[in-house]
Amino acid sequence: MEDLIHNLKKQIIEALNLEDMKPEDIDAEAPLFNEGLGLDSIDALELIVLMEKHYGIKMENPNDGKKLFYSIKTMAEYINSKK
Amino acid sequence: MSVYINGTAAFISQNTLNFNEFQKGLVEYETDFLKTVPVDYKPFMTPIEARRMSKIVKDSIVAAETALKQAGVTMPDAIICGTGLGIITDTEKFLEKMIDDKEQYLTPTSFIQSTHNTVAAQIALRLKCHNYNFTYVNRGHSFESALLDSIMMLREGKRNILVGGGDEMTPHYFSVTKKTGFWKQEIVKNTELFGTKTSGALCGEGVAFFLADSQKSKSTHTELVDLKLFYKPADIKEIFDTIKIFLDANLTKISDIDLVILGNNGDWEQDKIYKTLQETIFEEVPQAYFKHLSGEYHTCGAFALWLASQIVSHKKYPEFIKANEMKTDKINTVLIYNHYSNINHSLFLLKSI
Repeated sequence: MEDLIHNLKKQIIEALNLEDMKPEDIDAEAPLFNEGLGLDSIDALELIVLMEKHYGIKMENPNDGKKLFYSIKTMAEYINSKK
Repeated sequence: MSVYINGTAAFISQNTLNFNEFQKGLVEYETDFLKTVPVDYKPFMTPIEARRMSKIVKDSIVAAETALKQAGVTMPDAIICGTGLGIITDTEKFLEKMIDDKEQYLTPTSFIQSTHNTVAAQIALRLKCHNYNFTYVNRGHSFESALLDSIMMLREGKRNILVGGGDEMTPHYFSVTKKTGFWKQEIVKNTELFGTKTSGALCGEGVAFFLADSQKSKSTHTELVDLKLFYKPADIKEIFDTIKIFLDANLTKISDIDLVILGNNGDWEQDKIYKTLQETIFEEVPQAYFKHLSGEYHTCGAFALWLASQIVSHKKYPEFIKANEMKTDKINTVLIYNHYSNINHSLFLLKSI
């Protein structure tokens, strides 16, 4: 789980061009949207593509997005549940 | 009706954020193309805001907001930009991802940011400006078209027009266009550009923004008296005639010009036009170059206008732009003559206020 969270942080930094950030700067339990990293709807699209590209997970129900993308930890838990 | 430049800022390969610093010396480069200097974005935007923007977008925002601040304007009546290539970095990123991922997993960011009007749109979003917003993509007349539109808007009674131009270069686009022979095949120092006897221009990139208004203010740099665009002149006589008609129309004689800024780019063939003018009608006029500072790109006329505005405003110019030994004891009238690939020709006439 720790490795998965670390990889997710690195992939998010790359996908969202968070050039000045390092994985250790991101709190895995902090909200990704609005507070925390302060991501927006365009970032949500980037995260959907990231999940499909790196983990082969397609989001079938858009309503799951809010819960799934709450934090990096919830993303990691979702990926683990799909393995 | 007069057009006044009440604020301006530019970024090229030289230190242009402060004219006094700029005058201290020419920064020498020995590289394939001149790149804009690193810019400190932190006073202007957070890292989260900056993360989707390529360098040209961020540089343009800083230049535009600096020009607005100088003029004391918070909301322009229009935002008008010119660009030859648009946001080529993000266009390449988007296309590369399409190829690498076999047209799967396409992400929105590079696509959104790659459109030609990204700069004008980002400035408007940041200012929450819902006024006229337009981007001209007319090759070597892109910035000049934007400026012409600004002048027309001012004539219609609008005030405070934010107008700018910029282009960026990428290693990929440079290598493709180098094969056409447009750029120098060998690496030359920018400080030695005008001594070369080879074909091909020195490539560059940059952005410049201006706050143009119909009213003078305490921040006014200069008056833009007139602008002329002309396309594919048949021969040097047509260029001579166009310059003469332009000056006559503005009640200006060649002898009234205190400095002519010329767009020589180091290409032996293309520079023949400038050399002919330098040795004939402008022989007795102090002359200056600017493309050893900025390099050649579609919207480098915007940098030439920044340079001329600063010179008229500060009443001096540095040795390293001088193209001849003629001297002047005043700088009231400056003419810019530039052409892109002998296709898009431009004349700008500026006077001190």
